[in-house]
Amino acid sequence: MSMSQLDAETTTILAKLDADKALRPDEPSLPVGEWMGKNLFGMGQGSPWAVVRSTLLTVLFGLLALFSYRGFLNFVFSEERRWDAVRTNLRLLFTQAYPDENYTRVWVTVAIVAALAGLSLGLMKVGRGLSMKRIATWCFAWGGLIVVGILLREASALTNADGSIQLDVDKQPIREGFIDKLGERGTWWVLGLVLLVIGSVIWFTLGDLRRRTTFVPAIPFGLVTLGLFISSVWWFNWGNYTFTDDGFTFDPGNKVAGSTQMPWTLIFVVLLVAYLIGQFLLRSERAGTFRGVVNGLWLLAPFVTFWVVLRGPVIDWSHVLSTHLPMALGFIVLGGALLWFLTQPGIGEKGRIIAVALILFALFNWLAAFMGWYPMLQKARLSFLFLGLAAAIAPNFIGDAKQRLKLIYGWVGFMTIFHILVTIINTPSSVEVPTEDFAGGFMITVYVAVFTMIFSFPLGVVLALARTSRLPLFRMLSTVYIEVIRGVPLITLLFFFSVFVNLFLPEGMELSGLAAVTVAFVLFSAAYLAENVRGGLQAIRRGQYEASDALGLTTVQRTMFIVLPQGLRVSIPPLVGQVIATFKETSLLAIVGVFDFLRIARDVIPAQTEFLGVKQENLLFISAVYFIVSYSMSKYSQRLEKQLGVGER
Amino acid sequence: MPDTAETTLASAAAQRPPFYRDATVVKWLVQVATLILVLFAMFFLASQAGDNLTAKGIKTGFDFLDVDPGIQLNGGIDDDPATGGRALWVGMVNTIRLSIGGIIAATILGIFVGVARLSNNWMVNKIASGFIEYMRNIPLLVHIIVFFAVLGGLNKFTADVGPINGWLHISNKGVSTPRAFISDGFYQWAVFLLIGAIAGRFVMKKRKAKQDATGAETYPLGSFFGVVAIFAIVGWFLHPIFGWVGSIFQTIADVIDVIPQSAVRVALSLIAIAAAVWWIRRFLDSRRTPAGLAKLTDDDWFRMIFAGVGALLAAVFFFIVWPGFSSWLLNSSRDLFEVAANKFGDGRDGLPLGINRPDIAQRGNFANPGPAGLNLDTGVAALFFAIVMYTAAFIAEIVRGGILAVPKGQTEAAQAIGLRRSTMLRRIILPQAFRVSLPPLGNQYLNLTKNTSLAIAVAYTDLVQVGQTILNQSGKSLEVFAIWMLFYLACSLTISAVVNFFNVRLAIVER
Repeated sequence: MSMSQLDAETTTILAKLDADKALRPDEPSLPVGEWMGKNLFGMGQGSPWAVVRSTLLTVLFGLLALFSYRGFLNFVFSEERRWDAVRTNLRLLFTQAYPDENYTRVWVTVAIVAALAGLSLGLMKVGRGLSMKRIATWCFAWGGLIVVGILLREASALTNADGSIQLDVDKQPIREGFIDKLGERGTWWVLGLVLLVIGSVIWFTLGDLRRRTTFVPAIPFGLVTLGLFISSVWWFNWGNYTFTDDGFTFDPGNKVAGSTQMPWTLIFVVLLVAYLIGQFLLRSERAGTFRGVVNGLWLLAPFVTFWVVLRGPVIDWSHVLSTHLPMALGFIVLGGALLWFLTQPGIGEKGRIIAVALILFALFNWLAAFMGWYPMLQKARLSFLFLGLAAAIAPNFIGDAKQRLKLIYGWVGFMTIFHILVTIINTPSSVEVPTEDFAGGFMITVYVAVFTMIFSFPLGVVLALARTSRLPLFRMLSTVYIEVIRGVPLITLLFFFSVFVNLFLPEGMELSGLAAVTVAFVLFSAAYLAENVRGGLQAIRRGQYEASDALGLTTVQRTMFIVLPQGLRVSIPPLVGQVIATFKETSLLAIVGVFDFLRIARDVIPAQTEFLGVKQENLLFISAVYFIVSYSMSKYSQRLEKQLGVGER
Repeated sequence: MPDTAETTLASAAAQRPPFYRDATVVKWLVQVATLILVLFAMFFLASQAGDNLTAKGIKTGFDFLDVDPGIQLNGGIDDDPATGGRALWVGMVNTIRLSIGGIIAATILGIFVGVARLSNNWMVNKIASGFIEYMRNIPLLVHIIVFFAVLGGLNKFTADVGPINGWLHISNKGVSTPRAFISDGFYQWAVFLLIGAIAGRFVMKKRKAKQDATGAETYPLGSFFGVVAIFAIVGWFLHPIFGWVGSIFQTIADVIDVIPQSAVRVALSLIAIAAAVWWIRRFLDSRRTPAGLAKLTDDDWFRMIFAGVGALLAAVFFFIVWPGFSSWLLNSSRDLFEVAANKFGDGRDGLPLGINRPDIAQRGNFANPGPAGLNLDTGVAALFFAIVMYTAAFIAEIVRGGILAVPKGQTEAAQAIGLRRSTMLRRIILPQAFRVSLPPLGNQYLNLTKNTSLAIAVAYTDLVQVGQTILNQSGKSLEVFAIWMLFYLACSLTISAVVNFFNVRLAIVER
């Protein structure tokens, strides 16, 4: 019995229960008094003790909640807080020292992500949407929180004519009276009351049944809310705070700068248009294909945005035309021809021998490189390896021309993208930044997490397959690797890789700091991922293996078509958990000296002369960002679970 | 007819496929090739590292363990360690302390939150789930740094900073509480406790048997603790009478002193070989059917050969690779028993335990927590509370999953036989929930132990931080990394072993 398997089991139990809750129709609303009696004062359980206990708990925990809320508000809105430190440094927090003149690249990246998100949302199979009851409850909850907050929060301090705070004899600020306090928080009053009014209108104009059975499609509702929020940069005075080399501009009573207004508006338009296109494509018969294409683009997006858009490559066209293009064409055409040859019916054993020979040749190329026998571009070595792997799976595509062309198309597409990307990655960058890496802040946090997931996924699946393999040496190697990596803390691996990895590399090979750290993340994450996948693989019943043996499938076919599809489906919830964990773990970048989100908040901003020692505000802000990202991912995983119907067969 | 059948079989056997199509051959060829590839890669990387280190003039080796590291550590058992090994030991003790304290606190808090998360009471339920979501969705490192910033912003330390003056001080210098310490007579008292536990177990079994036989409530567990308490109280005053225990340990140490090294080597090798032989015999027995020994597959042969080679390698290790191991083993076990002889020996008449309240050390104009009390300074307090609350959120989810995994029929059956709610929870639900929760709980304990390594963010001297300091000074990267790895692997194995022990005990006995 393995620990991780049960761990995955717990996750599945919980996720299933939560997903059930989302599936269940909303319950009929009780009258307010009855609801409170049942949920707050323990009525209806038929025992006076239950009433006393529940009432006591409600009072106790209610007071705890109120005190914490008041403390939180007083902290956030206190006069001592320097929220301008966060506002002015938003650019630093998200993109570190990315140069002003290239900043369009950042906006293009966000727009690409927005376009893909719009397409995905448009192509999504949607559920029944949000019930009116949920919207109303939501309005009541937030409106109520805001109004209670206004009442709870301590009054503002009185200020002198010069703007300084009036202090009493104990050096405590003198605060205004309760009534004055209520009078001055106009915007908050408006927001809270509007929400309460919307909630009441929905609640009282619709009867209980209508409330529960009228649905608003969730995505358009979300888009409209987002649109309202983004439009507020044109009509609401958020304040204009910018930080340039000349110092910082501080203009609280104004709208945000035009350099923020325009990009965000355009990005929202891109999102909206992409969503509409997605909706249009959804009506077509080939919606499934489009969905696959968009998923492929998502996979490509991190590479394209990072290496092409953000990095601004300087391409030496003459070199590309003389070396890279012919090589790519050679691999595409000759490799394609070879694969066409290998998929002809009746190729028999010859095909396998060629595939094995190709793989051995590819591996030999690396040995030759380490030994210094003959040089070869890394790209070519990798291409040979891919060709060998494609040849190995070629027998699965033996058949008529249509069947054979599938493999050829796949090969041509993959090679084209691979060669273009590798060529671009090997160019110098045109973006000039003071630090070693052009990326930083939240940007690097996200990219490291994304690249870690992309690269650790195949490695993790291979490790999981090896660990459940019938071949003892594979099992042993994989088990040792997984247990050793899982046994040590991530931070030790990071130290090791960030400082000492270059000791292990032969002459002429070198990994930059960030690349080395990413490799450490990948190796670490793969071990955990392997355990999650293993849980899924072990959930496959024995009969499946026996049936595929009875059909005469080869090991590769059985793995590709029977084992992995079923096993991966079961392990999706723990895999999303792994994504969230990886995203959170990237905060360790701050310890090994990368200027990531956390490090900028903790070390960089408190060192600026304008905001010396301002730390708590930044930390609260980044906590909120981390929370929003992870929380929405975990909610999404619950939804996914419901869609996949894991464990419901 | 049988002749023909046999001939066909024989000819089929004779027509084996060519070797490159023979499943067994290909299987082993691929595996051995992969193994060789991995070993070659490791050898290659290691030799590269060796070359590069030589080029930089860094010598490899563990000699730094015996050299004065010249570093100061605060917040450990030794502020000024004399050797590198001692410094790392200080770090290990801190890691272990933090882990054990954290595991206990996180379990209690986690169960509490997990049960609250399932409460019928809306308010309790929402607050528990808010706590869980807040803790789970923000990186632990951010939590630690936030706690650190918050604690740093508290009131200045003075004699009356409170909340309970003289007993509990929470200030910008951290948290100070009374410290219980092991005093002179503790070990003799521990002997009393041990005897008490044995006697208590005996009484408990007796009473349990009576309860099972008659159905009367005899409080078996209560009587166990009662007996232990009686021994503890009597021992508190009478413990010096056990001073002679020390001489037993001294005798053992003397005996160890005369054992020759070669005998230890031979014994260790023999143990390894005997273990392999025992394992192979057991394995062969498991392959034995009433009709005789089953045909052994190539996999079976591999396992047996592997066991044999492993034993031989162990013998080679003890004799050739590290002959000093046996003398190290002898010396350290002799030292251990000598320390025990000293601790358990005569003439230590003081009370077993003592307690000190926090005091104040005045440094110039500044008041600081003094050495008498137990002081968690700001960094370690932030680390501890963050780790405990973070892990507790995960434990709470595990507990919730465990409780929900108990079939509904169990609750209904318990209600049907008229159990009260609390009895039902205690006797029916929680034991079954615990059985499901235990393995993932063990994983969380492992995670907690590994997460203590984030101490480096608040400059607390745990193993990783001390190792990092030594590494920066001496450049002994591989050695320090090996020590980190071995230590954390040992922690993992210990926790796994403990969890597995309980897991086996709690497993459903299938009849």
